[in-house]
Amino acid sequence: MSENVVKILDGNTFVVSDERGDIEASLTDPTGLFSFDTRFLSRWVLTINGERLGALSVDDLQYFETRFFLVPGTGTVYIDAKLSVIRQRSVANGFHEDLTILNHADKSVSLTVRVDAACDFADLFEVKDALKKKGKYSTSTRGGKLVLGYDRGPFSRATEISATKSARVDDQGLTFRVRIPAHGEWSVGLDVVTAKLGAGQAPTKAADPARVRARMARNLDRWVSDAPRLECDWDPLKRTYRRSLVDLAALRFSPPIAGGRSLPAAGLPWFMTMFGRDSIFTSLQALPFTPELAATTLRALGDWQGVRLDDFRDEDPGRILHEMRYGEMTAFEERPHSPYYGSVDATPLYVILLDEYERWTGDRAIVRELEVEARAALAWIDDYADIPGGTGYIWYQRRNEKTGLENQCWKDSWDSISYRDGSLPGFPRATCELQGYAYDAKVRGARLARLVWKDEELAAKLERDADDLKRRFNRDYWVEDGEYFALALDQNGRQVDALGSNNGHLLWSGIVDKSKSRAVARHLLGPRLFSGWGVRTLAEGEARYNPIGYHVGTVWPFDNSVVAWGLRRYGFKHEAAEIASGILEAAEFFDGRLPEAFGGYERSQTKYPVQYPTACSPQAWSTGTPLLLLRTMLGLEPHGDHLVVDPALSRGIGHLELLDIPGRWGRLDAFGRGRVEVGRRHR
Amino acid sequence: MSRMVTKTNDPTERFFEALATHGHEPLLRKGAGSTRFEIVDGKRTLRWLVTVEKGDISVSRRNGPADCVVRAQKALFDRIVTGKMNAVAAVLRGDLEINGDWRLLVWMQRLFPGRHGRRRTGTAGYARRRR
Repeated sequence: MSENVVKILDGNTFVVSDERGDIEASLTDPTGLFSFDTRFLSRWVLTINGERLGALSVDDLQYFETRFFLVPGTGTVYIDAKLSVIRQRSVANGFHEDLTILNHADKSVSLTVRVDAACDFADLFEVKDALKKKGKYSTSTRGGKLVLGYDRGPFSRATEISATKSARVDDQGLTFRVRIPAHGEWSVGLDVVTAKLGAGQAPTKAADPARVRARMARNLDRWVSDAPRLECDWDPLKRTYRRSLVDLAALRFSPPIAGGRSLPAAGLPWFMTMFGRDSIFTSLQALPFTPELAATTLRALGDWQGVRLDDFRDEDPGRILHEMRYGEMTAFEERPHSPYYGSVDATPLYVILLDEYERWTGDRAIVRELEVEARAALAWIDDYADIPGGTGYIWYQRRNEKTGLENQCWKDSWDSISYRDGSLPGFPRATCELQGYAYDAKVRGARLARLVWKDEELAAKLERDADDLKRRFNRDYWVEDGEYFALALDQNGRQVDALGSNNGHLLWSGIVDKSKSRAVARHLLGPRLFSGWGVRTLAEGEARYNPIGYHVGTVWPFDNSVVAWGLRRYGFKHEAAEIASGILEAAEFFDGRLPEAFGGYERSQTKYPVQYPTACSPQAWSTGTPLLLLRTMLGLEPHGDHLVVDPALSRGIGHLELLDIPGRWGRLDAFGRGRVEVGRRHR
Repeated sequence: MSRMVTKTNDPTERFFEALATHGHEPLLRKGAGSTRFEIVDGKRTLRWLVTVEKGDISVSRRNGPADCVVRAQKALFDRIVTGKMNAVAAVLRGDLEINGDWRLLVWMQRLFPGRHGRRRTGTAGYARRRR
């Protein structure tokens, strides 16, 4: 696969091509036109007189639109072309491409312009795992259109390719015979339409590209102008902020049931779908900026909340989904994503988001509207998550042992949960941050029960349970000789005693005894966890520590934003600012777009953050990270109908203003000054 | 006589009979609208109109207009209402055809039973350690 991939998208329809605009996918090569988790075009190659083209430059106009400048011939150093080619492509029910050829010579030219097209209709899962197709392909050329089809029983998908000028259409593409006068130009519009989308979607037709472009551009402008304005004396932060807002716009996804409203998908392009954990965390991070994302996330996840026991989907009553997919393997139940419920953090996080959303917006109507879902989520924690029974903790162990997820917490790789000596525990496992989320969900659930549902009995029960959970947790998980909380309890109730960033999530949830918080904060900013850029997922010195191991040593921006939030919660505002400072300085190296993770190397050793190679960029919760760090630096906290501002800025920022912050107060401005200047003290 | 027996044992008919007496369903309290089920059984098409109003369910055999039309072969629908097949996967496959507002089906599918399910139960090792 080419290193230089170009991506454009609208919701879960996206195009990945090389820098010439060509697509040459194989079953394992993730380029093409995708929609609803199915590839609708796997080959799209432009030639002129049988010759491939070379790229001069690519203009990423918007996230939904790109322009490629090309010349005939490839790989030469010296270019003296008499022709230039411009491909301008935008996403619209598939994509639309305006192809323009300019003749720079002083005499006319005759050209054969050819676009090869083909499709393998691969499911995204097949692209990932290189699996064979089970259905039948078809090709037809009728009415000047090339129609590519795939059928497996009732499962039917089709792509229609047409042009605005007459073309010779054959089974493998379109050919144009063109004559361009001296210094003249020729152009054609090409439409590739996802004609049969499936997934309960009506058949689609080519959309008017100009109108689609105009609508999407208007929508993006409105999105950015509705968000708070940032003023500060550190320009990279302004760029990072703007980048985050635009990327967040691109990551919006409207599930078929959300009535046109959007929630944040997990990552672009491969995770453009509803995820419990990622959609919730990103909504939390973005809450002070774009609160409407949280409302849609809560409603959509509520609509799909589990209602029954289904082992294949790891579904329980009250459980919030992990991931929804629409492709062929899901349709034929070769994968359980219809939807799949195998995460154990999404359910308590759902209650946390509902409460946090109400605290910011004052929208009690949604708390009433989702009362049944929130109660069911709280009940799930007690009734289904305590797998051994009688422990009062959240555990995970998949019931779908073939295609389900083994690790159902955010650190979901096989080796992420280990003892100090590197050995791995069995199942079930009860990772520590899950207990923090459960505690916070109960505390917040009690507040909602009292305030909105007027159920004093439930509120009192939840508070009792939360107190009890906190007491037991501080005893069972505390590693005495290390003064931190163990990663997990194993199947025998023994501590999985490695030190990880999960400790920061515990601060965020409030489950940590005040007397233990200083030791935890010391670890988070100490040499074993803090690299200088951020907090490592696993501490240096643990047997499995590896600075480029996915969850065993890399630094995750999302993780750090939660850690910073946690430090603030316990009053460690300068420590929080230290982390904000490291992560935001790292963002500068990535043009304001934080990757999913980067290496855990010591900052002084590499001087720059080493990116961990991942398929998705931007990743939603990395995109949300600068937003949450702004919140923690300014110390923004709703307090009744007021917004409390208590700034502690990262080094290098002299002044910081966030203007027009939306919330239950209407719109308010927040100001911060100086490295460690302390604003109004409220805690 | 034999027709009577067939009817009472028929999964689809039984499902709608039970639905008619179900009354209020909190899981559907956000659903407002009507769904017509067209169940194709050989040459005949069986129709049920299910109307949901703030969680109150009513069922009739009228052939009126609906916000959502769900169409399926009877053999397949029998499997869905007995928990042998997942409705959402059937929609993605094209076995269950939907025309109109498919939010209604997302809510309705909560009333279909699950495929197989059992709870995880206790781990002996842990039980030994508990105080």
